[in-house]
Amino acid sequence: MLDRTANPLQTRLLESERLMDETGCYDGITELRLRKQDPLKFETLHTKLRAYCVSAREMARRISASPGVREVGEMVVAIYTPEGDAIALSNGIMVHVHTMSRFIKWMIKNGYEQDPGIRDGDIFANNDAFIGTVQVPDVMDVVPIFYDGTLVGWAGAVCHELEAGGITPGGDVCLAQERFTEGLFVCAEKVGQNDELRRDYIIRCERNLRMPIYWVLDEKAKVAACIDMRESVKQLISEIGLDYWQRLSKEFIEEGRRAQLARTRQLTVPGIYRGHTFYGHVTEGKPGFQPLADPNWLYNIPIEMEITAEGKIRMDFDGTQPWGYHSMNCTPAGMDGGMFVTLTQHMNFEGLVNDGAWMATEINIPHGTWTNPDNEMAATATSWALLLPAYGVFQRLLSRGFIARGFVEEAFVGQVNSPMIEMGGTSQYGGQFGMAHFECAAAGSGALAIKDGLDTAYVGWNPESDMGNIEIWEQNMPMVYIGRSIVPNSGGAGKYRGGCAFMSTWLINKTDHLRLVTSEHSSRVFDNGGLCGGYPAPTCEKHHAVRGSDIFAKAERREPLAHTPGTDPITSDFERTYQGEQIFEEGPYITRPHKTGDIFSHAYNGGGGFGDVLERDPIKTAWDVENGFLTREAAERVFGIILKDDAEGYPQADVDATVARRAEMRKARLAKAVPVSEWISKEAERVKARDFAPEVAKMYRSAMQLSPRFTKEFKDFWGLDADYAFSGEN
Amino acid sequence: MSEYSKDVIRELVEGTLPWPQTRRIMSAYKDDDRFFKYISVLQDRVSFDDPILLPVGERLFICDSGEGRVTRCECGHSFGDYRRNWKLAAVINVRNTEGSLRDIYPNSDLPDPEWMEIREFFCPECAHLHEVEAAAPGYPIVHDFQPDLEGFYRDWLGKPLGAPLKETA
Repeated sequence: MLDRTANPLQTRLLESERLMDETGCYDGITELRLRKQDPLKFETLHTKLRAYCVSAREMARRISASPGVREVGEMVVAIYTPEGDAIALSNGIMVHVHTMSRFIKWMIKNGYEQDPGIRDGDIFANNDAFIGTVQVPDVMDVVPIFYDGTLVGWAGAVCHELEAGGITPGGDVCLAQERFTEGLFVCAEKVGQNDELRRDYIIRCERNLRMPIYWVLDEKAKVAACIDMRESVKQLISEIGLDYWQRLSKEFIEEGRRAQLARTRQLTVPGIYRGHTFYGHVTEGKPGFQPLADPNWLYNIPIEMEITAEGKIRMDFDGTQPWGYHSMNCTPAGMDGGMFVTLTQHMNFEGLVNDGAWMATEINIPHGTWTNPDNEMAATATSWALLLPAYGVFQRLLSRGFIARGFVEEAFVGQVNSPMIEMGGTSQYGGQFGMAHFECAAAGSGALAIKDGLDTAYVGWNPESDMGNIEIWEQNMPMVYIGRSIVPNSGGAGKYRGGCAFMSTWLINKTDHLRLVTSEHSSRVFDNGGLCGGYPAPTCEKHHAVRGSDIFAKAERREPLAHTPGTDPITSDFERTYQGEQIFEEGPYITRPHKTGDIFSHAYNGGGGFGDVLERDPIKTAWDVENGFLTREAAERVFGIILKDDAEGYPQADVDATVARRAEMRKARLAKAVPVSEWISKEAERVKARDFAPEVAKMYRSAMQLSPRFTKEFKDFWGLDADYAFSGEN
Repeated sequence: MSEYSKDVIRELVEGTLPWPQTRRIMSAYKDDDRFFKYISVLQDRVSFDDPILLPVGERLFICDSGEGRVTRCECGHSFGDYRRNWKLAAVINVRNTEGSLRDIYPNSDLPDPEWMEIREFFCPECAHLHEVEAAAPGYPIVHDFQPDLEGFYRDWLGKPLGAPLKETA
């Protein structure tokens, strides 16, 4: 066994990887000796480490000035081994626990011990996704932990910054089409020494960001959290001894790996699971998009998941689309992070949660696709746009396993995109500002297999979902809320409906220059799905805005205002209520600046449904209609539920009429449906004729160029000739 | 380790267990005897006698039967050999026009039917909607789940399956 203190980090990392390859166990830990000796001590010490993390994060949130971190909790911290493997972590945006691991390993592999050197009190920062993060606003800081001159671990912290200084304001820089327009990059940089951030680094931040107070105070918050964890770990080592710590930290990770395998064997069924989703994005004719980019994109995201006899989860993205000149590409770090955060929510709800879980998985992200670009100039500023739908599929695949095994209470139709608003310009105080509005961190969740999804209370990247208080957001932007309400029918229909989303409506106030930009908008296709007969949640809603509205005059006259665009998809309540230039825009929203008196609304997404709609409870549906989660029209037309009014005018289910209506609907289903074999024969003619929209044809052409397996499966399914191809250039 | 009565599992599966109790089950260690209690609950629910070996959907089960191991709807309809994609033996309705999509999304913005369609897979006998696919036109139908049935019983449950009642081709 290698001397853990005398050898350089690079050697230690290589040795650790070699031992894993040789033994199949983390760092060659084939026996959990310390756990066996004293299981209570073992568990207690891990609980202590976790407490250090949770406490450090909470303390840091009070230092931050950013409503994203303070209000919504867009932060996570973790403690790592010297080789960069996570031992313990806090709650929060756990996607970054493993991306930080990649960052630490990158520094080790790139000789940072020699240059620029790794010393006690150093602070390293990174937001380069090809080194180890998800997107440019996810800025991470790590500090080494030395004990008596020996590097014994790392403490790390990540905050999602609300402003990154990119071509468009905010953090998710939707207009970026190459990394050069994404904003301020800090590439594995030593940004501090002796526990102090360098002044020249702070000056760089202040000169290159629209709202440096968020980034700079978040840096201080993260450094404080790291120092707090470092000192706690040092104190712990002084109590248990260095040798014990070095063995213990490794055993924690091996225990996490074994626990993940055991949990997969306990909760699922071995076999092959398949699913897919899509993402459709429209930028044709929108200002600012460079000639490099395609006008519109359609991405397919097929996933094949194998659960092996051992309990290992293997994910395969073969068949998906190439990376592109847009901001939605992802890096291996982001893909790993997505896997990690999903596992922490769905399988690691007990025991030691750390990088061990990730080690019990494998992922195939084909080189050249959006999951693993072969060009490191690719932009990743809004990679969540594709990541969230992809890992929503993963959640549905896992859930089918839970259902097969009988753990129906864990089945969950999955996460969805929650389109975000970025903004910048002149603030209500007269100065320059920029901000990402993070109320998007509270979308509707997919349904469960035993109940409806969570309304306005879930996003995949942060299980501690929170939309933040209106008053806090209003302090930070030149807009005031005139509405924040549930979007009826925004959950996918099913026996259990998906959770509903909300929408906000704002009056632009006290500014003559407010740029609003939105991202993560799949308006042309569903980027989510249902399960076991449930329907997908609706596609992203289009934006409604009114420029130069008469709202002030209406308010003066005490006339009623419209607080949402309403439920008529053809004519909005804004059009009925306000004078002014009516805007109806498919996302992403990017347009000329807004000013005082304009009205803007933005809707988030609901989750997919579960089970057959005709099995939905009529009583629960009446309650949904009464409370604005469903419209009466949907209750009858989609669910076959007949409602009447009770004596006080509230909706009440007419059970007998519902039973009769549903019997008719079942008959109608069979009258209309055709055998699948018949449909395939007819549809094959369309496929042979390549009778598709240009975006669809391009999607097939790209998938076939990258994936022989996709090509074979496509041709086999439709009975196509070997030379079948889509002509044209990508 | 936790253990629950068959009645509790039945109510859990039916979605009628009170939320506080469901929540406690979600938070507790998992019950290792769940699978066979679950199968027993499902077996009580169906009208056919063929033993259920594995659920593959909410009302879709792999069963041992006189036809061999087949995928069956809860109503008893057989979709054939469980190793073949049951969807290919279903009946389908495709929503690929604004009008047909509007029936499901009456008050929302719609996808572009040129880019995306909804495929509904029904049981040809009872019209139960077993699965919905949202896919681009021309996208092959997905085979959602191919369980390692024999390996599951042998290696994970420790109760190897006997020979099928009848071998299928």
